[in-house]
Amino acid sequence: MVRVFVEGSDDEKFIIKLLQDLIKSKELELSKKINFKSYINIMGSKKNLLDDVQSKYKQVTKEIELGEIKKVLFIFDCDFELDDKKCNGMKNSNECFDKLINNLDWNIEIEKSKHLHIFNKNLDYFLVETINKKECYEHFDRLTECLDVEKVKPNKKPIANLYRDLYPYPQFDFKDDRFRPLKDKLIDLFKGIK
Amino acid sequence: MQEKENHFIKNIEIKNFKCFEDFKAEGFGRVNLIAGKNNVGKTAFMEAVYVNVHSQDVNSIFSVLYSIKFVREQLNILFNDTTNDKMKFFENTNNYFSDSNIRKVSFEVSKIDGKKSYIFEWGDEKREINARDFSYDFNYLPNIDFIDNFGFADMHIIEAYSSIQRKDEEFYLNNLLKKFDTRIDAFKIIDEKPQCKVNGEYLEIIEFGDGIRHLLSIVTSLYKCENGYLFIDEMDNGIHYTMLDELWKIILEVSKKLNVQVFATTHSKECIESYARVAEELEDKEITFFKLGKNQEGELKGMVYPYDWFIDSVEQEQEMRGW
Repeated sequence: MVRVFVEGSDDEKFIIKLLQDLIKSKELELSKKINFKSYINIMGSKKNLLDDVQSKYKQVTKEIELGEIKKVLFIFDCDFELDDKKCNGMKNSNECFDKLINNLDWNIEIEKSKHLHIFNKNLDYFLVETINKKECYEHFDRLTECLDVEKVKPNKKPIANLYRDLYPYPQFDFKDDRFRPLKDKLIDLFKGIK
Repeated sequence: MQEKENHFIKNIEIKNFKCFEDFKAEGFGRVNLIAGKNNVGKTAFMEAVYVNVHSQDVNSIFSVLYSIKFVREQLNILFNDTTNDKMKFFENTNNYFSDSNIRKVSFEVSKIDGKKSYIFEWGDEKREINARDFSYDFNYLPNIDFIDNFGFADMHIIEAYSSIQRKDEEFYLNNLLKKFDTRIDAFKIIDEKPQCKVNGEYLEIIEFGDGIRHLLSIVTSLYKCENGYLFIDEMDNGIHYTMLDELWKIILEVSKKLNVQVFATTHSKECIESYARVAEELEDKEITFFKLGKNQEGELKGMVYPYDWFIDSVEQEQEMRGW
């Protein structure tokens, strides 16, 4: 059994879409009927995800001790240093993750290169950058720059939300090379699952 | 009879019994559903707990050890009620140890220099009895029952039904049976046989599917086990998934009202989901879920999920049927 830890339900939906695409492209040899939801833990927020005293982690600790969970993957947003939260920015995010893993003290292999994926800025930012029709995105990006959106709210959620309003099922370009690192981690994680 | 207060098993250690070499589990509640893959030891776990709670003297220990073998074998053997048969069944369990928050119990068949003796320990008491001098007399405690996956024999249903009659709750059972099978108008014991009324005629329960026998066994024994314990193997056997909520509602409500600790096993996802749904609806936080599985070293391990963990795991659609 494996477990993926994410911040929220949007992250879960995205990971499931990506996993389904990996099955479609035959990079993952799993049944199309697999319920990926059962492998994902939504922690509710980045704060919760990086908090070792969360009740969910107590449960998972027990499941690891019993040998039920053998591999894990943590996925979260780096977010913006401007927000001045102690775990924001790539450096702080990494430090907070190190502290989490140290405190959890799980008796399974946790190697950052395989078991951690931090989105630069955030998932929305990442997805908007990788959608098809890049010229539209670039145009959109110039517009937000012009409107100083980042100064009002230093992340790209308004743009991503607008995009999702227009396209509830956005066709992300999963072939984009920027998905490769996350794909490799997911393939490694789910390898051998029946 | 058990004490009304604090009689629930909360934790137990089991050694040298069937697949349990050295096993511990803690955190059990009033109602506990057990899941795990085939042959992992779900029924054996319930048997170990059953022996622990039923061990109050030499003959109650003999009876429960005999009974667990008899229940498992009753379809395969032609039973003769002879001392020799009783001894054979009893000695089938030649080693047992458990230590719970209720009591410590152990049993061992010792053979030294051709002399065979039985060594019993329960609580602070210890007895060693020469096998030739042992009286194979049964002492079954009335408020502790173990229902196998097919349900009780007629005789046992009749005995348990009298507990419902004593509480004047026959109508409750009749209403319930009607929900399970709309053709059934009433249940009665006629000519010492459990019978259901259909289209004005009473028919023996053997004329119905397995589900009715299992359901009757569960509901009647819940009443019989007031202030005691009830163990139900494969509780959803023969019961359609659309009726599971109704069954769980009865188990949770009656066990609470009559102070019965329940342990039940299942293989079914529908049964687990129904348990979570009904517990949440009734806001019954005295329930737990117990998952059994083996670790990489092949050792048997178990994990008790308290209410919050269980409800959350089911909501997140996590695999709860074992690993």
